[in-house]
Amino acid sequence: MRSNGGRRHGARATLRPLAIVAVAALFLVPLWLLVAASLRPLGRPLSRGVEWLPRPAAWGNYPAVFELIDLWRHAANSAFVVALAVPLTVVVASWAGFALAQLPQAWRLRLTLLSFAAMGVPLTAVWLSRFLMFKEAGLLDNRLALVVPALGGTSPFYVLLFLWTFLRVPAELYEAARLDGAGALGVWARIAMPLARPTIVAVAILAFLHYWSSFVEPLLYIQSLDKQTLPYALQALHQLDPTNWPLLMAGAALVTAPVVLVFLLGQRYFLQPFRGQGWFGR
Amino acid sequence: MTASLARHRAWSAPCPRRPGYRGQLWLMLAPYLLGLALLVVVPALVGLPLALTAYNALEPARFVGFDNLVELATDPIFRTSVFNSGVYVALAVPLRLLGALGLAFLLFRPGRGVGAGRAAVYLPTVVPDVAWALLWLWLLNPAYGPVNGLLALVGLPGPAWMVEEWGARSAVILMLVWQIGEGLVACLAALGDIPAETLEQSAVDGAGVWQTLRGVTLPLLAPVLLILLFRDTIFSLQSTFVPALILGDGGGPNYATTFIPMWIYTNAFEYLRYGYAMAMTWTMYGLTALLLFGQYRVARRWRLGFADAE
Repeated sequence: MRSNGGRRHGARATLRPLAIVAVAALFLVPLWLLVAASLRPLGRPLSRGVEWLPRPAAWGNYPAVFELIDLWRHAANSAFVVALAVPLTVVVASWAGFALAQLPQAWRLRLTLLSFAAMGVPLTAVWLSRFLMFKEAGLLDNRLALVVPALGGTSPFYVLLFLWTFLRVPAELYEAARLDGAGALGVWARIAMPLARPTIVAVAILAFLHYWSSFVEPLLYIQSLDKQTLPYALQALHQLDPTNWPLLMAGAALVTAPVVLVFLLGQRYFLQPFRGQGWFGR
Repeated sequence: MTASLARHRAWSAPCPRRPGYRGQLWLMLAPYLLGLALLVVVPALVGLPLALTAYNALEPARFVGFDNLVELATDPIFRTSVFNSGVYVALAVPLRLLGALGLAFLLFRPGRGVGAGRAAVYLPTVVPDVAWALLWLWLLNPAYGPVNGLLALVGLPGPAWMVEEWGARSAVILMLVWQIGEGLVACLAALGDIPAETLEQSAVDGAGVWQTLRGVTLPLLAPVLLILLFRDTIFSLQSTFVPALILGDGGGPNYATTFIPMWIYTNAFEYLRYGYAMAMTWTMYGLTALLLFGQYRVARRWRLGFADAE
């Protein structure tokens, strides 16, 4: 019985790493092929079959993208949006999460339900109304229109993440700070936030990914090409030269590189919810 | 100034700090609630009356009653878009859910390579929509794309993908099945919430792996799976937009990737028919609500089935 269990365990112990490697490869192959396609020398006729690594690798495709479109300008626009939206999101969402954690149970439940309901509204449903509202407010063709959602914390989900984090902090810690004469802002800044560092990093990363990748909002609200963010510029590049695959893939790789970098730097904060820690661990 | 305010409050209120603190909390909550109201609730409500008008944002809206809805009922492209979105929800949503759940079982327990495996699975999810769609446009190129190249290696004929209707629909499903990182994280978190004792008890009772899965693990995961199902269904109505715009070049071929959001976008921002597009938005709401209700009913029956098996 015991030896049988042990053998079965042994077989699984060797199979599992293999399965993990296979799964990882399956999910990484598309990205590898993105890089491979971006390094294909321009003008070489397309060939059938899979090219895993072009020889010679045409690194010159990357600077060539910058000559075709003003990538630096679009990168600056993206950076502008992210630089404003990410800190705003963290502050507003953590304020709301903190307040929800401290308010009486009844309000907390009601507003949590409201947040869940709001998460269920597809963006598609508000495209049109937001467009008309921004038009009325004179925010159309203004990069600030892309930052506006951050004023409300960007997503109810981020607020809930902070709420769950702050609920895990023993209430006595908040009480003690209050008895020392701290106001709500003081307790938030001195007690709550320093204890919520993993959640802050996770929300900042999620917000960064959201604003950096956002395509529909710039498409709808920004008309001038020189105010557009990177994803839109990539689509413009596609329309400029739809079959120049090496340059298109180089452009896609350039737009993707920052998010991959940020994700890899911070992934442990939201991919490691082993028992009793991480996002939802209670 | 603040000091005098504080003194004033202390003097006027019998118990100064408590209501002050509560008020401060509400102030910290205000930006979020205002944002919800102004960016979600009000836009949704503003849209409702607009659905009963003809409006092109240049002239004032003209009331047309239920004309938009009548036109929707006979609009063949709208009917196609509902069919396309239905196909997507029926195929992609279950695939994404099962994929996330299966990967979570594989990547839950700590072990060698688990962290890297999780990161690898999540990585496609962070790729910006436009870059991801352009990449798949290349991968699925019928003549020179790597996918058909790989299929040829094993002797399979590659489909023409974006040239044929079902090829195009499959392409959109295929590229979105790769982006299931968020589902994976939610399933991992839900697995982490199952008390170890419950699983040990099941093993002590002599339950096999399959019985434990069916009798203990899945029922405990059911609420999270249901939320994921709802979320994926709702988001499938918007996540198909960029693929349709880029892979389908605006919803083609022959409207095969004209999902509901694509047709809303085309009517609103290309034909400037805001009233009609808004009527479509509300119809989409209604259809989604119906769908979620149906899923809820089915899921409830499944959960009862699990309870019976125990």
